[in-house]
Amino acid sequence: MSLANLSFFVNEAGTNMKRSAMMAFITIATIGIALVMMGAFLLTTMNIESFLEQMQAEALVTAYLKQGFAITDAKTLSLRLTSLPEIEDIEVVTPEQAARELFSSPDDQQLLKIGISQESNPLPTTLRIRIKSGNQLESLLQKLKGEPMIDNISYGEDLFQQFHGMSQLLWLISLIIVIMLGLASLFIVYNTVRLTLFMRREEIVIMKLVGATNWFVRGPFLVEGFIQGLVGSVLAILILFAAYKFMLAKLVELIPFFTANVGFDQLFKLSVKLLMMGLVLGISGSLLSLRDISKFSKSTPEGV
Amino acid sequence: MIELQGVTRIFPNGVRALNNINLTINPGDFVFLVGPSGAGKSTFLRMLFREDTPTEGKILVDGKDITQMPESRVPYLRRNLGIVLQDFQLLKRRTVAENVAFGLRVIGASAAEISNRVQEALEQVGLSHKRRMFPTELSGGEQQRVCIARAIVNNPLILITDEPTGNLDPMISQEIMQLFLEINARGTTIVMATHNHNLVNKLRKRVVALVDGQIIKDEICGTYAYE
Repeated sequence: MSLANLSFFVNEAGTNMKRSAMMAFITIATIGIALVMMGAFLLTTMNIESFLEQMQAEALVTAYLKQGFAITDAKTLSLRLTSLPEIEDIEVVTPEQAARELFSSPDDQQLLKIGISQESNPLPTTLRIRIKSGNQLESLLQKLKGEPMIDNISYGEDLFQQFHGMSQLLWLISLIIVIMLGLASLFIVYNTVRLTLFMRREEIVIMKLVGATNWFVRGPFLVEGFIQGLVGSVLAILILFAAYKFMLAKLVELIPFFTANVGFDQLFKLSVKLLMMGLVLGISGSLLSLRDISKFSKSTPEGV
Repeated sequence: MIELQGVTRIFPNGVRALNNINLTINPGDFVFLVGPSGAGKSTFLRMLFREDTPTEGKILVDGKDITQMPESRVPYLRRNLGIVLQDFQLLKRRTVAENVAFGLRVIGASAAEISNRVQEALEQVGLSHKRRMFPTELSGGEQQRVCIARAIVNNPLILITDEPTGNLDPMISQEIMQLFLEINARGTTIVMATHNHNLVNKLRKRVVALVDGQIIKDEICGTYAYE
């Protein structure tokens, strides 16, 4: 594509959008609304997921050591494990300490107290491990299982399974919603472009008469789709983040211990995704409408 | 320049618009296509710029069989043709100069080239002083001259025109015809469908008469009469 063509397309796209401002507005609004909704779902999902992750991370992994090791061995092991990237911090709990904790805990532990005394303490030495993030659990478990001193590991398996299932379900739901919203807005964009195409039929007929290729005819429409997608998504991102900021402020007021879990880098990635989706929507809506351009650009219908 | 070999066009509704047409048009010819309405004149012309394709037969333009031409090549064929139709087909929201420039824009000509050639074409049709006006501000004859300027701005080999004087009064028609003669004198082949007896009889050019989709007359210095 030559520079002359590109500047012609951009000029044409600008003139056409001015001429059919209402159509351009509808397309931009459709893309914008769809993206705000998609973005809202994605943001909610991201927040819930990061909340779940945080909860997972706060859960403790407890490694029970085999009998017969001295407490110094346990300390050496804990020092070695501290260097693992998954581990936030690690605490060695001696059998005596565990027994003390057990004695001080409420009534439902009564049964356990039977058989535990100063002389005979069957409780193993344990390592209480705090992980950095929930999604590092699997790799840490693999590494711990390879340690010969470790007998058994507990990490609240059921809870983790539930969290995992919940976050998968969340992603599935938001994926379905995003796809449905995407299709709906694609349909609206397709129809508005189709309408402007019919409004400009005469122009297209003349373009074809003087020897314009189909791609040349499509050019201004595609540039228009690109611009509308761009404007729609930028507006959507601005609206979404303003609303998000507002909501966070409200939530902090309502729930004092609430903290925002989604960081700037994630928000940036989301913006890029929304921008891409906007461009894809604008351009593919135009492309879909223009696929049969040669059919309706005949100067008079066949057989007349 | 143009050669039709056994060209037949049958529409999906069964109407036989053209029936076994054989015709050769040489470079620099000026051919009037005459005949009653519905005789197949427009279909004939539409075949020449591949707006339609024959059911049977071949059409050679500048040595190439355009009936076998892939759809993607059609724009390049049209860049060598000038097309002027009865209804002026100008873009109302563009100025005279922009309308003429349209034919150059679509082939990606540079701004300087567009400006020069538009000026030249407008001078040729005598409208360079109205280049900034809009089509609605022009008379019918002037609008048709803009169409002619747009058709010749690419220096086409062939100019195809369907009833170019159909909507114009006799005086203006004569002026338009004079323009076509000048264009023809510069070497452009012209194929013109018309109902204008007076002009055909006066100019004494080659006349091909079509009736019911068949050529019933082909005279070198012909007249309009075909009955």
